[in-house]
Amino acid sequence: MIELTIDDIKVKVEKGQTILQAALANNIYIPHMCWDPRLKPYGGCRMCLVEIEGQPRPLASCSYPADNGMIVRTNTPRVAKLRKTMVELLLIHHPLDCPTCDKAGQCSLQDLSHQHGPSQNRIQEEKHSVARRTRNPFIERNQSRCILCGKCVAVCWEHQGVGAINFIGRGFDTKVSPAFEEVLDCEFCGQCVDICPVGALGNKPFKHSCSTWFLESSDNICPYCSVGCTVTLDTREGKIVSTRGIATKGVNKGDLCVKGRYGMDFIYAENRLKKPLVRKNGGLVETTWEDAMHVLAVRLNDVIRDKGPGRVGVIGSPKFSNESNYMLQEFARKVIGTNNIDSSACFGFSKVQKAVSQVFGLSSLPISLDSPIGKGAVLVIESDITSTHPVWGLKFLEARKKGSKIIVLGPRETKLSRHSDVWLRVRPGTSHALLNGIMHLAIEGAYHLKNHMSTAATNFSELEELVKGYPPGRAAEIAGVDTDEFIEMAKVYLTAESRMAALSLGSVENNKGLNTAISAANLVMLTGDGPSALQMPADYANTFGMWQMGISPENLPGYKKIEGSPGKNLFQMLYGKKPLDALLIMGDDPLSTYPDLKKVEEALRNLQLLIVQDIRLTDTARLAHIVLPEASWAEKEGTFTNAAGLHQTTEKISTPTGDSIAGWQIFRNLTRYMNSTPPFESLTALRDHLSDMPIDKGKEKWQYVPVHYEEVEPVDKQYPFIMVTGNLMQHSGALSVMSKNLSEAFPGAFIQINDTDAARLGITDGSTVRVESRRGAATVTVEVTDEVTQGMIFAPINFATARLNELTYAYEGGGAPLTAVSIQQVQSA
Amino acid sequence: MKNIILKNIENPNSHRIEEYIKAGGYFALEHAVNEMTPRDIIDDIKKSGLRGRGGAGFSTGMKWQFASLDPKFPKYIVCNADEGEPGTFKDRVILEKNPHQLIEGMVITAYALQSVRGYIYLRAEYPHVEKILNDAIQEAYAKGFLGNDIMSRHFRFNLSVHRGAGAYICGEETALINSLEGRRGDPRVKPPFPVNSGAWSKPTIVNNVETYANIPYIVETSPKAYSFLGTRDAPGTKLFCVSGAVKNPGVFELQLGTPLREIIYDHCGGIRNGRALKGIIPGGLSTSILTPDMIDCPMDFANLARHGSMLGSGAVIVLDDTMCIVKIYERAMRFFEHESCGKCTPCREGTGWMRTILRRIEDGMADMEDLATLEDVAHNVAGKTFCPLGEGAAQVLLSAMKRYRGEFEYHVKYKKCEVTDPSLRWGHMSMDELD
Ligand SMILES: Cc1cc2nc3c(=O)[nH]c(=O)nc-3n(C[C@H](O)[C@H](O)[C@H](O)COP(=O)(O)O)c2cc1C
Ligand code: SF4
Ligand code: SF4
Ligand code: SF4
Ligand code: FES
Repeated sequence: MIELTIDDIKVKVEKGQTILQAALANNIYIPHMCWDPRLKPYGGCRMCLVEIEGQPRPLASCSYPADNGMIVRTNTPRVAKLRKTMVELLLIHHPLDCPTCDKAGQCSLQDLSHQHGPSQNRIQEEKHSVARRTRNPFIERNQSRCILCGKCVAVCWEHQGVGAINFIGRGFDTKVSPAFEEVLDCEFCGQCVDICPVGALGNKPFKHSCSTWFLESSDNICPYCSVGCTVTLDTREGKIVSTRGIATKGVNKGDLCVKGRYGMDFIYAENRLKKPLVRKNGGLVETTWEDAMHVLAVRLNDVIRDKGPGRVGVIGSPKFSNESNYMLQEFARKVIGTNNIDSSACFGFSKVQKAVSQVFGLSSLPISLDSPIGKGAVLVIESDITSTHPVWGLKFLEARKKGSKIIVLGPRETKLSRHSDVWLRVRPGTSHALLNGIMHLAIEGAYHLKNHMSTAATNFSELEELVKGYPPGRAAEIAGVDTDEFIEMAKVYLTAESRMAALSLGSVENNKGLNTAISAANLVMLTGDGPSALQMPADYANTFGMWQMGISPENLPGYKKIEGSPGKNLFQMLYGKKPLDALLIMGDDPLSTYPDLKKVEEALRNLQLLIVQDIRLTDTARLAHIVLPEASWAEKEGTFTNAAGLHQTTEKISTPTGDSIAGWQIFRNLTRYMNSTPPFESLTALRDHLSDMPIDKGKEKWQYVPVHYEEVEPVDKQYPFIMVTGNLMQHSGALSVMSKNLSEAFPGAFIQINDTDAARLGITDGSTVRVESRRGAATVTVEVTDEVTQGMIFAPINFATARLNELTYAYEGGGAPLTAVSIQQVQSA
Repeated sequence: MKNIILKNIENPNSHRIEEYIKAGGYFALEHAVNEMTPRDIIDDIKKSGLRGRGGAGFSTGMKWQFASLDPKFPKYIVCNADEGEPGTFKDRVILEKNPHQLIEGMVITAYALQSVRGYIYLRAEYPHVEKILNDAIQEAYAKGFLGNDIMSRHFRFNLSVHRGAGAYICGEETALINSLEGRRGDPRVKPPFPVNSGAWSKPTIVNNVETYANIPYIVETSPKAYSFLGTRDAPGTKLFCVSGAVKNPGVFELQLGTPLREIIYDHCGGIRNGRALKGIIPGGLSTSILTPDMIDCPMDFANLARHGSMLGSGAVIVLDDTMCIVKIYERAMRFFEHESCGKCTPCREGTGWMRTILRRIEDGMADMEDLATLEDVAHNVAGKTFCPLGEGAAQVLLSAMKRYRGEFEYHVKYKKCEVTDPSLRWGHMSMDELD
């Protein structure tokens, strides 16, 4: 700690802090325009100059380190004069077009000009005039207003790891620009827009929609991924017009990704459901709640009576709140009387849950958002974390800046592979073999003996026996990498001071399986790092919460194991030999995202009763007998639990669309129609119950589960490519395609193929190809790129129109359910 | 007078390694590598009192010591051959005529700092020098003065030339490092200083060409012998490059502390065309102008500071009574505006503003209020900029306005120039022709 005096106040700060940080931490405000807590000091705007006793010149407080005994003055007449001059200087060439600027009212330059009094125009100069560029779908550039603070450039490169923009030109002619003034080639996080202190960068969707002083702001939790960022929504008359991140708020501290910033307009999608629908004479017709509830109760009761409750199932939603999911399972268990409860997590997060309970004996393993920071080595296992969990991904970049070694295993080039220290370009789905190989080397090199836990855990000798079969040569051969490079990578990992392994197991990711998760768990145990070193985040905004609420055929709320035999899981409900008779699907669209589309469709069509409860008319809803409109996020209150296990409430800021109502109300009312007594009459009662709900954490007990690498569907002559499915940064699941903003920028389905493969097959970029697997075929646009390796195809599963999920399959075993496909050009671009 | 740097200058082949060795070259390196420890060398340079010749005059020995105390490796050795300061052409003589003395100085520095990699950052406008330097480097490799086993002592040092892209700011050491790394040539925040975190965040020494060229002499004689030259506070010799209104302009190697009068009247033959001396810019355009009554000022750091100026790069620009101060500073300000990197507000916006007003004064369009505004703006730029470029721009204008106040006021009052005979006026060509 050091002590210094700022404006006669004695303050104490950590060594290494700048004067500005010391002042701000003690509520002394120094104006600053080019400094941001996330960035390295830049020192350009000179707004933050202060006087320091003993120094002949004023110094920039943002970049000058605070020192013991320093005496700082932040508001002397000299400093005041100087700030006034800086503002005056900045205004010389400023277009002074505040009346048409969207930033007016939230602009630092405006605020500072007000604060430092009107300046006379002591100079006549031509105003800056730079042509506006508007080809970016989200970001409006108006460089005449730019004060060259450099924050956009720095946030894009230093913090976001992208580097889409930089300065071009020198001195007065300097401009912020994408390379060669081409179309901005970026990931559209909008971080540069948020950080711009003036109106030089703006959100295009917000352009000229409203003066900032008419906006009302409120905070909410982003409904997309499981990071659970706090978004500040600017609304006008209850309508969301823009979204911001604020540096002091939430787990994200101001960071947002493209979905969080531009995807909130999904709630205004045209296909939002406004009224309940009931199938009459073959078509779905609008009706009243009373009618829908009545019909539903009668028909559901019929099935229960005739076929038994075991013939009914429900599917929960990782995008809906804890309240909705809890009420759904209450309804299933108490009113219908079935444990046939599952969700899309069956293809993803449930594997994480299984691995965690099998290996560590725990009922859940929340991640820690700060986990990468300070780790010696961070191993990323075939996961595109900056796309699936964008804001958590930034922590990996930050960790690297602070000295961590980032090791990436994966065939596809990602932001993390670009920022990695070691990148092994493994064949899709083979990282499991490498994990076994690392354990082989650990035991051989006795790295595991540094801790006593690892050999004491159950099944150690079985594990030892198993990994004997994965000497470096073999592990590397399976993964298709160089043996020496693999050994080198393993050394970096094993010899690090501290370690962490990360993998995402999203429900549409098919390149990892249960066994990959188990093997990673074995590894962190063997190296003595324990469960906290394994970071396997839930995928969607409430996947973690949904699971905790008991959306599972095996667990009751709070992870309590079911006594007796479990209910049917998704595999049995949709893909089994004896499908169900009635199914209630809440907030999910199996037809667009579940694997093996044809089977799913067949199962759904064979149902005697299909009820869909959602916020919009999905493809699945079109097949339903009864469709119930649920109010969406931001139209009702609710709780989401993020991947770190943090419960966060989402607020109601908009009126519900049409007649839609909150999910918990739907189930309460339905319970009444089914002649039962609802467990809760009010949201408060429900919430009180949830907050007191006991959580069964499980009993931590380390036990190795030795698992062999397995190839589920090998390629052959007829189907020579491996198709990897996943999410894009700009789209995930079915929610983002509802956003007009996101869909305009990323309109349709596409797949990626390696450029060498493409050349060999005569496939050109942008053309239409037919992809075929043993189960079906799809026609889709192709992107030719070196981002993917040879023999691989990457297919984002967000766009229902492409029906890419007709090719994939549901797999209950432990391997990675990769799909072997063939590809052929059908129409050139 | 003892010549350290220009000693072999008359020899037309002075740039060839054979000639350099014949005149005793690379002896210092041999001596250093065989008989001295790195510590010894740093101590000797400190004792010699050598100060940087690039402009700031910082103690070279201290700079090396800071870098050598930093535990990080590798360390980088960089030669600043950007020579961008208007009026300066002294490094060019070394680069063209005596490149091996620079190389030898750099290799000794590398040995002292245990560095394995060096760069010469060369001014873009010296393309012919690139060839000379590369040839000299090749020669030094061939003789084993550079490479992986220098003088068979398992000492490794590799050196190459990096050409700038024509920006004055890239002479500033941190901007130079950015440019060397392939980034935009903007100055960096200090601290950390290059000696701790320079090129690729590793300890880095940046010294001027002339500074390195002094090293072999100090090593082969002794710090004491070196400090006999020059003054106590500023030992050694200095290259002065004199331009402007003198009969015999050129580069002269003289002891530090040589009076300005001796330089102008004895070495340069006095003012040309029998005109009267009007002023002297003693150390390049970024140093404040001296008036004729300061002609006896000894040319060293302390004495020039006493006269409100600086030794700078040793570029003496002599002005006679045909030259208009307003015009000169309008032109100077255009240079600073053009070269401002644009990073900081006061320099980027201030230089343009000052240039506009100067232009108005020069054009006879200004009033007294403009003069006051100009001074006010300059005061608000001076001392507030990020790096010395903007600072220099404001300071030199302020001192010119103070020392030649009458001339500025004359322009404003009479809407014309005091230097009456237009045919005599220096710079009667249009400004654009001058560019
Ligand atoms: C705008 C600006 C331009 C400079 N140009 C040069 C130059 O061309 N050559 C040079 O040696 N030093 C130049 N310097 C000084 C360098 O920053 C640095 O102080 C010098 O290279 C250190 O070497 P020395 O200690 O040997 O003098 C410049 C400084 C500034 C602020
Ligand atoms: S939106 Fe994001 S990626 Fe694009 S330029 Fe701005 S900061 Fe960079
Ligand atoms: S565009 Fe905005 S953030 Fe970027 S340099 Fe200009 S003022 Fe700063
Ligand atoms: S004073 Fe500022 S704008 Fe001028 S060159 Fe230095 S950093 Fe760049
Ligand atoms: S905030 Fe310090 S210079 Fe800009």
